[in-house]
Amino acid sequence: MDPMLTFLVILIGMYGLSTSKNIIKSVFSVTIIESGVILLFLNLGNWQGGSIPIINGAADLIADPLPQALMITTIVIGSTVTALALMLCIKVFHHYGTVEWREILRRGEGK
Amino acid sequence: MIKHVILIAMLLAIYAVFTVSLQDLEQIYQTSADYFREFGVDQTGSNNLVTAILLDYRLFDSLFEAGILLIAVSGIIWISKHDIEEKNARFMLDKFKTPDLFVTFSRLVYPLMLAFGFYIIINGHVSPGGGFQGGAIVATAILILYYIDADKETNIGMIVTVEKFLYLTILIIASLSIFTRGTFFTNVFPYETSSTSTQVIYLVTLNILIGFKVALGLWAIFTAFLKEGR
Repeated sequence: MDPMLTFLVILIGMYGLSTSKNIIKSVFSVTIIESGVILLFLNLGNWQGGSIPIINGAADLIADPLPQALMITTIVIGSTVTALALMLCIKVFHHYGTVEWREILRRGEGK
Repeated sequence: MIKHVILIAMLLAIYAVFTVSLQDLEQIYQTSADYFREFGVDQTGSNNLVTAILLDYRLFDSLFEAGILLIAVSGIIWISKHDIEEKNARFMLDKFKTPDLFVTFSRLVYPLMLAFGFYIIINGHVSPGGGFQGGAIVATAILILYYIDADKETNIGMIVTVEKFLYLTILIIASLSIFTRGTFFTNVFPYETSSTSTQVIYLVTLNILIGFKVALGLWAIFTAFLKEGR
């Protein structure tokens, strides 16, 4: 079933978030989780099948437009949050000279 | 190694729980789009039901979405502020390293992309699209300008100021319905007296404003990154 497969994408993102040693890879893992959530919601709205939610003629069955409208919010917010995280990442690189988690933590304890 | 095994086992456990909880999806997700299909066009004047939800039923959500975009842009610009005041950002790419073919095709594609973005914004209520999507396309078209003209200078503060004023305008237009309908954040024109074609005016206005706001926001984000990477 399709929603199960989309949940696998979320799990892949969680795995990357838990194991990545690089800040940029962590940001990308968050993006992967977000993509999985978007796919999951779009699947939930359209799991019965049906046409696009635009009324031009007589459509028997249309996809639920509510999850689609909510996912626009998710996409916009996700992109801006990713941009904010990457900008913080640039600042961290300027300050520490590296974007490795362990190195940054080690230097933070040393001070 | 053992940590990875434990992690994968935990993730698989989460997956199993999810699979079990979605066994009877038909009982969980019963609300098909019947309500929107029957009343959506009549109540909002929008053929595109997603736009109907974004700009009428759940306008409150969309307003805060635009607000979060504004806050994130402000945050990015505040973080990327340097000690030395730099008002202008110039493109970091060396003009001679950008391939000529790319520049030529950018010149060819740029007006088409701009026109397509405006088409998406204006036709948001009849075809797939709307303010947010069209704004992203317009922003991409503007960003191509940086490839065409490497010496282009941009004032980020100006962009963000215009974006703030656009957001205030959107808030005011969205609140105007308190005078005509008695509730906040819905269509300005009263439901009983106005026809569908009248309600479309409000949808197109709000779509255009949101589209320009999103385009300016994404443009400001990109310019901040260029300034940082220089």
